[in-house]
Amino acid sequence: MAHELEKRVLLEHAEDPALRTLDGYRRLAGGYATMERAYREMEQDEVLSELENSGLRGRGGAGFSMGKKASFLPRGEMAKYLCCNADESEPGAFKDRELMQRNPHQLIEGIAIAALAADAGHAFIFIRGEYDEQADILDAAVAEAYEAGYLGTNILGCHRDLELVVHRGAGAYICGEETALLDALEGKRGNPRLKPPFPAVQGLYGGPTLINNVETLSNVPHIVRHGAEWFKGFGTEQSPGTKVVSISGGVRRPGNYEIELGIPTRDLIFGLAGGPEEGHEIKAFFPGGSSSPVLTAEEGLDLPYSFEAMAEAGSMLGSGSIIVADDRVSIPHLALRTARFYHHESCGKCVPCREGTNWTVKMLERMVRGEATPMDLDIVSSVQANIIGHCLCVLGDSMAMPVGAMVRKYREEFEAVMADPELTLDPHAVVRGAPETLGAST
Amino acid sequence: MSPAGREVTITIDGREVPAVEGEMLHDAARKGDVEIPYFCYEPKLGEPVGACRMCLVEIEGIPKLQTSCSTPVREGMVVHTRTEQVKEAQNSVVEFLLVNHPLDCPVCDKGGECPLQDISYGWGPGRSRVIDEKRHFEKPIELSPLVAIDRERCILCYRCVRFSQEVAEDSQLQLIERGDRTYVGTFDDRPYVAPFHGNITDICPVGALTSYTYRFRARPWDIEHAGSVCTLCPSQCNVSFTIRDEKVKRVVTRDNHDVDDGWLCDRGRYGFEMFDAPERVRGPLLKGGVEVGWDEALEKISEGLRAVSGARRGWSSPDNSGEGPGRTTPASPGVALIVGDASNEEGFLLQKLMREGLGSPHIDSRPSRGPEVAVLRRLAAPAISAKVSEIDEADAILVLGTDPLHSSPILDLRVRKAIRRHGAKLVVATERPTALDGGAEAIARYAPGQAAHFVSELAAAIGGSENVATPIAETLRDAAKVVVIWGERIARQAGAAEALLAVAEATSMATTDGAGLLEIPDTTNARGLREAGCLPDAGPGLSDTPAGMSTEEIRAALISGEIQSLILFGADPLRDFPDTPAWEEALTAADFVVSFSMHENATTAKSDVVLPLETHAEKDGTVTHPDGRLQRVRPSATRPENVLPNIIVLSELASALGLDTSIDSQPRAFAALTEAVPFYAGITDSDIGGRGIRWQETSSATNAPKASTGTPSERFAEEEGSSPEAPAVPPSDDEVPSEEGVPVLALGTYRDLWAGPITELNPPLKFLTPHQRIEISPSDAQRLDLKNGEAVRVSQNGNSIDAAVLIKERIAPGTAFLAEGVTGANANALLNGGPVQVKIEKVSA
Amino acid sequence: MSPVDGAGMSNPNLPVDPAVRDGRIPDRTEEQIPELHEVDCPPELQERIETLMGRYPDRKSASIPALWAVQELYGWCTPEGIRQAAAVMRVTPAYLESVASFYDLLHTKPVGTHRIEVCTNISCWMRGGDRLLDAFEAAAEGDDAEFFVTGFECLGACDIAPMASIDQRYYGPLEAAEAGVAIEQLRAGDEVLPEKALARRGLAGDS
Ligand SMILES: Cc1cc2nc3c(=O)[nH]c(=O)nc-3n(C[C@H](O)[C@H](O)[C@H](O)COP(=O)(O)O)c2cc1C
Ligand code: SF4
Ligand code: FES
Repeated sequence: MAHELEKRVLLEHAEDPALRTLDGYRRLAGGYATMERAYREMEQDEVLSELENSGLRGRGGAGFSMGKKASFLPRGEMAKYLCCNADESEPGAFKDRELMQRNPHQLIEGIAIAALAADAGHAFIFIRGEYDEQADILDAAVAEAYEAGYLGTNILGCHRDLELVVHRGAGAYICGEETALLDALEGKRGNPRLKPPFPAVQGLYGGPTLINNVETLSNVPHIVRHGAEWFKGFGTEQSPGTKVVSISGGVRRPGNYEIELGIPTRDLIFGLAGGPEEGHEIKAFFPGGSSSPVLTAEEGLDLPYSFEAMAEAGSMLGSGSIIVADDRVSIPHLALRTARFYHHESCGKCVPCREGTNWTVKMLERMVRGEATPMDLDIVSSVQANIIGHCLCVLGDSMAMPVGAMVRKYREEFEAVMADPELTLDPHAVVRGAPETLGAST
Repeated sequence: MSPAGREVTITIDGREVPAVEGEMLHDAARKGDVEIPYFCYEPKLGEPVGACRMCLVEIEGIPKLQTSCSTPVREGMVVHTRTEQVKEAQNSVVEFLLVNHPLDCPVCDKGGECPLQDISYGWGPGRSRVIDEKRHFEKPIELSPLVAIDRERCILCYRCVRFSQEVAEDSQLQLIERGDRTYVGTFDDRPYVAPFHGNITDICPVGALTSYTYRFRARPWDIEHAGSVCTLCPSQCNVSFTIRDEKVKRVVTRDNHDVDDGWLCDRGRYGFEMFDAPERVRGPLLKGGVEVGWDEALEKISEGLRAVSGARRGWSSPDNSGEGPGRTTPASPGVALIVGDASNEEGFLLQKLMREGLGSPHIDSRPSRGPEVAVLRRLAAPAISAKVSEIDEADAILVLGTDPLHSSPILDLRVRKAIRRHGAKLVVATERPTALDGGAEAIARYAPGQAAHFVSELAAAIGGSENVATPIAETLRDAAKVVVIWGERIARQAGAAEALLAVAEATSMATTDGAGLLEIPDTTNARGLREAGCLPDAGPGLSDTPAGMSTEEIRAALISGEIQSLILFGADPLRDFPDTPAWEEALTAADFVVSFSMHENATTAKSDVVLPLETHAEKDGTVTHPDGRLQRVRPSATRPENVLPNIIVLSELASALGLDTSIDSQPRAFAALTEAVPFYAGITDSDIGGRGIRWQETSSATNAPKASTGTPSERFAEEEGSSPEAPAVPPSDDEVPSEEGVPVLALGTYRDLWAGPITELNPPLKFLTPHQRIEISPSDAQRLDLKNGEAVRVSQNGNSIDAAVLIKERIAPGTAFLAEGVTGANANALLNGGPVQVKIEKVSA
Repeated sequence: MSPVDGAGMSNPNLPVDPAVRDGRIPDRTEEQIPELHEVDCPPELQERIETLMGRYPDRKSASIPALWAVQELYGWCTPEGIRQAAAVMRVTPAYLESVASFYDLLHTKPVGTHRIEVCTNISCWMRGGDRLLDAFEAAAEGDDAEFFVTGFECLGACDIAPMASIDQRYYGPLEAAEAGVAIEQLRAGDEVLPEKALARRGLAGDS
């Protein structure tokens, strides 16, 4: 039985393994009825306006209006494409995994309807290579959908075709960036492209392409089924709908919780995730994945969990993934872990990101080894500033923003660690205190 | 690339700058004298990548800084390149680059000519705050036997890999790994061997890619640059020699859009290393390599030549002959001239010496034979001749009877560019698979020796009839601007050139701008020599003269004794001409042979007197590009001291033979040439300048040779009968002919890019010396039970050479191919002027 | 790496390049892409790659799947395997190596049969991911042929931190002690840590 703070739409019936199968999806969730209606009775523009009016914002990080983006695609005879971004590689994010694992057909139905809105004849699900289990589940579901005539040629006798290919990545966070995803899908190294041109105009194989996140597309059947007004009944004006939020780190019950956008962040972290371990306090948290500037407990806990509130607080909702750091976490080490990730994942194409992430890691490593001076702190800060806005894509910024924020908000702690590296008792330079004592997650 | 945009005005740093809509902001700024620092941008490499971020600028109305290299210009754009925000960005990019770039400039070959160095001074923060360890790589290592790579210096600007991907399209040079672990490398760390790879040393903005032939040879401040033209192949690329101590140390491009588009092949780039080979002829020699003085040598020659020409009487001298072109006059003098590689001036003097000094019409500049002058005149018509840069804009390109990669490498890049950037449709019609097949819309493989027949079929197919050439014809028919790149050697076959003219007619080239024929000749200055009068049936300007013998006829006449002596100028028949056995016989039979040669070779060994030639870095003269562009070869390096300027030698030889040319310098020779060639009339050295000038584009074009009679189509009608009847397609699998049981294959040959002195006498290129291979189709390999690499003997009535089997999927069954000019196993040994069938047998080792 | 460090510096003219001797230099200027008959590609691999190419509007899109197929067949992306895939796809081997080397899950160097990726990113790190990695490394010590153990960035399973991906399946939350157990189970060919398999978990909110 779900907690009363949850509002399950995308995760409804998700606890039932049967939902994974076409029959289960039909039986439990009335699956594909909406798609049939859309294909049989709706024009492209009707679907588009439902999506646009719903105010559904992208769940992949940028939070851009899904309907608007779809409406940017030029009309006409040329081949158009739809790509589902299932690369989910940002630290702290694991919601798409849950959605694909438990309800693959919801995504496929969403893709089928979105393809109608985008007039795309070819769709791809780009799923990160690590999600092998989920990719297998999708493969099976896609096969069922073809079998049932929801995919393929002359779908439901409506003279529309849609080919859907599940494309497995091979391990590179950057492929989540929409243009890098396109290059990877075209069989190249996953390097981001210059924008403009934007994918909606010139994307996959040079054709107009709509790219959306798994959760975004999973919302589509519900919106088209119940209408934009129904959707706007949830959440806030600028953040309508529900959101599957991944919570992890220093909480008792990490996991995915689906909530109405705009509820107090405290309810999420304490009410749903059970709050910090016995005898510990929340020190800070990433509100929207590792790319979002950390908020101190004081700053963040009482903010409504919405796109706008997080933006006002100088951070972002991003992919909707909360990573909690309790009072045992050494912020300089947290900064180092964060920087290491982006350094490892930088594609290497542009200079500020490639060299900036590398240099930042080197400086942070010196700090936690006690081989740095306060002047280095200023250099780290200015290097973050020099990265922001100068890169080819925003991966560089995605490190510079959180690391910059940590140095700014926890300068004393950095200075303390630099002065006395022993402050981090743990030889693995992890958490103060014995990690084993952190409770198991159920 | 930039749309044919309208003129707009933008504002840069408060100054109004004219620009073309759609062009990149960086280019507009440059034209407006605004310097924006950059590393990765290079339009020659295709679309901008925006990787280095050095070119960031502020554009009003856009919050983030933009990369000027990738931002198209729009009317009214207001741009700032000097604001604080921009300065900070530039400082930080330079600082970031130096996080990993070693500071070893003092020992770096690029020092003094390094963009990174210059930009660091000009736009960097002055000091770097980096104290951390830089990344380490084994350094420097061999990227190829010719190019060293220092990966620590690499700034990952993508230039070299883009060259490999976007220009040469060999896709061998790649980025390996990710992020700051990325490095430039090749598959399995194998050497990067590709015919254009030397270019990456020119475009690398740091000292990461350097040539072994230049490393530590010189510093920018103790070298000079001398512009000239590479005459190692008909492409005649514009080069700049890097000279130190009066010797060539390096060859780099002199970017001429109308000729080479700013690239060089490795032949032209590294060929200079053979100038100093021990085999270089450094002064006059007698048989057996006896060194003699110039006077003695010239004396010997005039004796030898007068002896034969004097022995004859009654030959018709040019002035009192009224007969015009016809067959050889009954009693002809016993001396003949064959010119291979020579400048226009040299060719002009040589034919003058022959015709006026020795009174002999037996002059040719072709390896075997070619169309008669009437046809050549029509081929030379400006209306149907394409210039190189027109390939870029062509709608359809036909590559006919040649593989540019081997015969004129730089055109291979040009065709690729036309397809990639302009969407030109390529069709290929050849005997042997070409390097360009991959990009072709349609490919026709005709049987060796059947070019003439195929081309006539093609002309008919364009006209509408259905035949083997139809697929090719369709593409040409649907295209407005058609450029045909054709190999001179197809014109050795009777009727081929006429058929080609019919194709030109059928595609209405004459009336279409940007359409035309572009010949790839067999020798480096073939057009210039023909126009200077080195033809058996034409004098300077393709004028009428009493006809003499062609190369092939000369060979026969030497054997029969009708001709007794021979002058060879830059020609090596025993390597380069078909039918080596016959040439052996001819040179043995000859009473007297003079060879002008750059290096000693089998031919000079059989010559009575050998005179040295200048290299293209030493000589002074002009050459004429296959598209009619006169270009100037300028002396850049000093000759070995006993090597005299060829022009002087020729004028002295002339006077020794009693002919006073009073031409003893390049300027005089050029003046005499332009006087003698109507369509060169009035062209001056300054007209030619550094970029050359096409005579078709001068006022003298009106003097272009006139087709003597009939329209191409009528003439073609007459010729039609002469086009061979044999099938234009190779025999299909099941009907391969056989000689007493052993199947025989139709032999085709090609001149390998790397065959000859270019590799054999050139230490850095030695590793490329080709081994003879017999290329056959998989099905023939199966039939003959042959494996890749297996040693076989290839024979043709009595003559045979050894080769290794090379199975190639794209070879037509029933055909086999060998390379010409390969020492020890020269395909020319099996040729005899006609179509040849060969037997292939395993040699039991 | 290529021939000896600094080769050619002593003699810029390189009379004989070592690469020539061991025949690594392609002496056919035209051919950059191996022909099928040169690579003897196993029919099943060829078929598989051809099917993959058929699924995309542009055959090049199949390069990552094709490399997965090569890795499955040979355990890693061997040079031979890459050449075979290149011949089938009509691209250069260098192109495929460049692609393979960009991605963390494709290996251009030999790796053990069982691949164990331990997450050491933020959430797992907070819960002892580093210790878990040490434990797996210790347990697999000295058996590189069987086991490839590596630390890994966020695998997208922070809810079961600290976790590991074992042969492409997720397990967590893991105690350091369970590393040894897992290795033994892999050696014995038994099912790995059944009760810790992600597949078996319910929704967090339902507890
Ligand atoms: C470095 C980087 C990584 C990203 N990773 C992902 C990802 O894993 N999944 C995702 O859906 N979007 C990711 N994005 C955002 C995508 O670029 C794109 O905005 C999004 O997929 C659009 O879908 P949406 O509008 O439905 O959110 C990433 C962006 C960047 C810059
Ligand atoms: S080697 Fe030179 S050209 Fe190639 S990427 Fe590095 S710096 Fe650029
Ligand atoms: S020159 Fe513009 S990004 Fe490199």
